[in-house]
Amino acid sequence: MTNFTRRSFTSALALGVAAPAFLRNASAQSATIKIGQVVPITGPAAEAGKYAMAGAKIALDEINKKGGILGKQVEIITEDDQTTNPGAVLAFSKLATNPDIVAFVTSIRSTQVHAMAPDIAKIAKPTMFGGTDPTLTKLGNPWLFRCRPNDTFSGKVIAEFGVKELGLKKWGIVHSTDAFGTNGMKALEASLLALGVTPVAIQGYANQSQDFTPVVLALKQAGIDIISSYFTFENDLGIFARQLRQLGVNAPWVGSPSIVNTTAIKLAGAALNNTYGVADYAEESSPEAKAFADTYRAMMKVAPDNQSSWTFDGMHLLAMAINKAGKTDPDAVRAAMLSIKGYKGAEGEYNFDANGDGLHGYNVVKNVGGKIEFAKHIEFPA
Amino acid sequence: MDIVFQLLFQGIGIGSVYALVALGFVLIFRATNVVNFAQGEFSMVAAFLMVIFSVDLEWPYWISFILSLGGMAIYGALFNLGVYFPLRHRTYLPVIISTIGASILVSNSTLALYGPQPQVLSNLLDFPGFNIGTVYLDTQYLLIIGVTVVLVAFQYWFFEHTLLGKKLQATSQDKEMASLLGIPVATMIMVTFVYSAMIGGLAGILVAPILFVSIHMGGTIALKAFAATIIGGFGDVAGAIIGGLALGVIETFGAAYVSVPYKDGFAFLVLVAFLVFRPQGIFGERVAEKA
Repeated sequence: MTNFTRRSFTSALALGVAAPAFLRNASAQSATIKIGQVVPITGPAAEAGKYAMAGAKIALDEINKKGGILGKQVEIITEDDQTTNPGAVLAFSKLATNPDIVAFVTSIRSTQVHAMAPDIAKIAKPTMFGGTDPTLTKLGNPWLFRCRPNDTFSGKVIAEFGVKELGLKKWGIVHSTDAFGTNGMKALEASLLALGVTPVAIQGYANQSQDFTPVVLALKQAGIDIISSYFTFENDLGIFARQLRQLGVNAPWVGSPSIVNTTAIKLAGAALNNTYGVADYAEESSPEAKAFADTYRAMMKVAPDNQSSWTFDGMHLLAMAINKAGKTDPDAVRAAMLSIKGYKGAEGEYNFDANGDGLHGYNVVKNVGGKIEFAKHIEFPA
Repeated sequence: MDIVFQLLFQGIGIGSVYALVALGFVLIFRATNVVNFAQGEFSMVAAFLMVIFSVDLEWPYWISFILSLGGMAIYGALFNLGVYFPLRHRTYLPVIISTIGASILVSNSTLALYGPQPQVLSNLLDFPGFNIGTVYLDTQYLLIIGVTVVLVAFQYWFFEHTLLGKKLQATSQDKEMASLLGIPVATMIMVTFVYSAMIGGLAGILVAPILFVSIHMGGTIALKAFAATIIGGFGDVAGAIIGGLALGVIETFGAAYVSVPYKDGFAFLVLVAFLVFRPQGIFGERVAEKA
């Protein structure tokens, strides 16, 4: 039997302590540049996960066609987050153990990004995400870069559009009680208060509800003349939209981005006609958005939405930052990412601020008989 | 007052769905003494069959409906042969684990075969609903309530007034005695699985136009239906119906008058209260004795 001496114990300990640093810097040796993607392949968001993978794949093909990153071809390694927080943490941990992965594209769901954030800080590599909870870029975690506008902007745009454009003052807010929904609601409420409007009804619901009658009746009783919403899952949005119209509430509705998702429109059908949504991605908002839509539609045979546009941008931004840095060293890539100004992606124009927020505005779109029409873009200074 | 009636209608509607699935739970529990944790998947599979026949193949609704129920009968038989029958002489634990395994297998197979996208199934009736005063009555919920009433009546007649029903009851009460009396126990259990799969499937088809068709639809309903069977009394048919309806009404009123986010909490609070103070449920015998 081998003797376990104090020296071997100390050596093992030293190796264990130093391992993360080795893992962090060992990446440049690989034949390809590897990007890790945490995506829902199973669970309620599996459909959206398919779109997210397609967006990243389109960017990947474009990057590789143009010579890759640092002269090497790029590959994506995906892990299933099972649409759960523990699943996301597990998926990220699995990817983090691969020293060849130089950066990550993670989740569109704020709760999952919150769950993964401590591990992201530990592995200390650039991580793109799409969750819109404003607090995510204020956690003091320097490795998080957001490829969608955060909910402070969506709240501001919803409030501005509803109060100033539509001229409506009796607001009802419906929101999921998860991190995304709650923080979105708080941001919207703050924006409304800033415009001198106090919401008359705020209704939270737990995800995967089967019945929204109590919510709809509460809105009706409060005498609202405009509805705003922060829904996380399209199933919930579909059920709510149908019950809202069935129970005779026909007030104008300005929703968070999920209201213009392909799946939501398919599920809710006519119940979402004439609703407005703030959309970080709108096909007609720019030539770059249109070009992405054409490629995506040819590949997926459905209209693109924000599930795919942000992963598309995230991959391009990573490629640009690493090429700009000239190496895969995380600190250099981070600095290069923060220096990106005026990059026109599918989602909009990226001007990274010190917090890691790339976008600072939203489009307002309208659902006209199931077709999404671009209404206007509202931009705020970075 | 209108709000109370609206909530009551909605509560009874969603409660009827729980009741239908709970009925399937109870029948299998009575026949085999184990809880079938794949009961929710019966609903999901039937809803997907319906989507295949009526949406993808565009066959008429009624033909699709009959084919889906027929498919569920075959599915129930295969489920019995594959999941219960090989373990029938073992204790309840391996069978329960076997049903959990089947549940995971079926939902993931459906995901692999059909993809993750939720599907839309149209209502059976062309008009979605109508108002009586200010109370909106959704025709799909009316249909669910109607089917529940008819099924309860049918079940009562079937179990109390037909020879097959009596044989099934005898099997559920004492398998050895039933066997000694010449009742083919294995066949009776097979019939139970087939019938239970058809009831669960019916619930799935009826609720699909409201909750959409997804691989998760069964799990959510089954959890509530499971709570309903405990509240009503495990092993009791009337208990499953009352438990399901009670649960639907309690959670709807709880959401409206106390808190929407904690809606599911009310259902499970009632469940815990029953487990502590009346574990046998409203009508049934003690869970501990059965399990």
